[in-house]
Amino acid sequence: MTHPTKALAVLLALVASFALAACGSSDEETTAETAPATTTTEKAARGGYGKTEASVPTVTIRDGEPAGGVKELEYEAGDRIRFRVRSNVADEVHVHGYDVTEEVPAGGSATVSFPAEIEGIFEVELHGSGSQIAELRVNP
Amino acid sequence: MSLLPFAHALAARQDLPIPAWLFAWGAAIVLIVSFFALSVSWREPRFEKDRWRPLGARLSRALLGAPVQVLCGAIGVFLLGLAVYAGLRGTEAPDRNFALTFLFVTCWLGFPLLSVVFGDVFRPFNPWRAVGRVAGGALTTLAGRPPAHLRYPEWLGRWPAAIGLVAVVWLEIVYGVSGGVSVGLAPHAAGVAALVYTAYTLTMMALFGTERWCRNGEVFSVYFGMFSQLGCFAVEDGRLGRRRPLAAAGRWASVPGSAAVVIASIATTSFDGASEGAFLGALEWTFERFSDAGFGLTLALRLTDTIFIGLCLAGVALIYLIGAWGMSTVKGAPPLHKLWSGFAHTLIPIAFAYLFAHYFSLFVFQEQAQFTYLLSDPLGTGTTDLFGTASSGIDFQLLSANAIWYVQVGSLVIGHLVALTLAHDRATAYWGDYRQAARSQYWMLAVMVAFTCFGLYLLSVANA
Repeated sequence: MTHPTKALAVLLALVASFALAACGSSDEETTAETAPATTTTEKAARGGYGKTEASVPTVTIRDGEPAGGVKELEYEAGDRIRFRVRSNVADEVHVHGYDVTEEVPAGGSATVSFPAEIEGIFEVELHGSGSQIAELRVNP
Repeated sequence: MSLLPFAHALAARQDLPIPAWLFAWGAAIVLIVSFFALSVSWREPRFEKDRWRPLGARLSRALLGAPVQVLCGAIGVFLLGLAVYAGLRGTEAPDRNFALTFLFVTCWLGFPLLSVVFGDVFRPFNPWRAVGRVAGGALTTLAGRPPAHLRYPEWLGRWPAAIGLVAVVWLEIVYGVSGGVSVGLAPHAAGVAALVYTAYTLTMMALFGTERWCRNGEVFSVYFGMFSQLGCFAVEDGRLGRRRPLAAAGRWASVPGSAAVVIASIATTSFDGASEGAFLGALEWTFERFSDAGFGLTLALRLTDTIFIGLCLAGVALIYLIGAWGMSTVKGAPPLHKLWSGFAHTLIPIAFAYLFAHYFSLFVFQEQAQFTYLLSDPLGTGTTDLFGTASSGIDFQLLSANAIWYVQVGSLVIGHLVALTLAHDRATAYWGDYRQAARSQYWMLAVMVAFTCFGLYLLSVANA
């Protein structure tokens, strides 16, 4: 009966290492995600918004590209999704999956807001430039 | 966050990673199932004979008779033609063009699903086989004798299909690169690729014979045919019949190159899954090395992906080789090459489980597009509405994240269980002594647990 016990030990070690790897990567992820939140408030302050609007994440577009890279937006199912897009050129924001579109005037901003009904990961892109500007995550 | 978005351009939505608790439960269930499987194992092979029994003669004649076969072939040729036309002439927006969804979702994912349940459904619809048969028939009538073909080299076996399978996936997920960003294959490129593949396939059929090439070299016949070995209907001696599910698979891998086909299937799906999470860091690192070395962005990305597909192929082959080598150390074992081909079919359920877990949600969502706006407006012009469904959309609320997770984990666990069943059964056939057979299966158990847990791991870190 030595063989099954040995095999069991090997298997357990294998699974444990996979589990550790998975947990490890999710830890990294959560710390990485908390970081961009500060940049939003910073931008909002610079833009001179009121206090209530400061909590709305803002994606700033320069010439069709997101300043500071693709922004991560994370919500729970049932929340209301709300984010602002500021751009120096006119374009149209498109949220894939939800198929929500919003016009952004040149030098102005638009607020995109809709209920988080569909779970999953969705691209937010600009129709004009074709660039992805944000990644929307709706967790169950 | 990531430098290289590997998203398929088709999919408007991607799956959330399976949560850590579900990953842990999945892995635990895999272990429990595995040891349960060891304890209830049977001593005589049960799946070595497929016990094929003919169905009613009238049904058989109706389905296999010329009218139905010609109709099916015509449908296949028409749909291939439509896909090529849509690809070449339609919109370049991948999600609005009939070609991409039809070729890479409806056919590429739909036929494995149908085949696993029913058997070789692709065969009557195979457009190249239909053309080959008509051409062969016409030549026979004209010349008064069947056309002469080259002898197909036996050693080549299914290798052309294995290489072709990697090429198809490479085209789908690696080639579609623009400016250092993976954007998925463009419809026009898909149309051209389908034409090139058609020319290649028809040439090979002319050289070696239509049925011969379908058995060995035609990628889609061999690939879907592999999954159809698990299905419960089959045609034998011109008659349709029922057979024991799973049991036909045991004969499938005796042709050289069969193990390569199933390894290629697992490896390419692994790569697609891993590029969304597990490999992301390594891919970015390699990509940067290539672009630093002066390669253009597109070339650097293609090289990176190609290397990692190669690594996946080597990795999957190595795991299986370790299993086969391990079995060969057990007393009374057949030689290694016999074990290598003799157990290859036991990986088919794993290959299917990988495919199903990875693409299930894409299939469910994209088929809604296929049967609504892509049918009504195949070119994506925005002005055509053949069936009045051009303005329909995809209902993404059809599947919750939880439902997708359970299906993903469930399919991996079931695939694991079926694979263990087939492996144990084959061992009882190869080893006369039951105890040695059981001992050999610790090795295959380790192989299956490795594949299944790796599959779970990929799901848990994809898009994390």
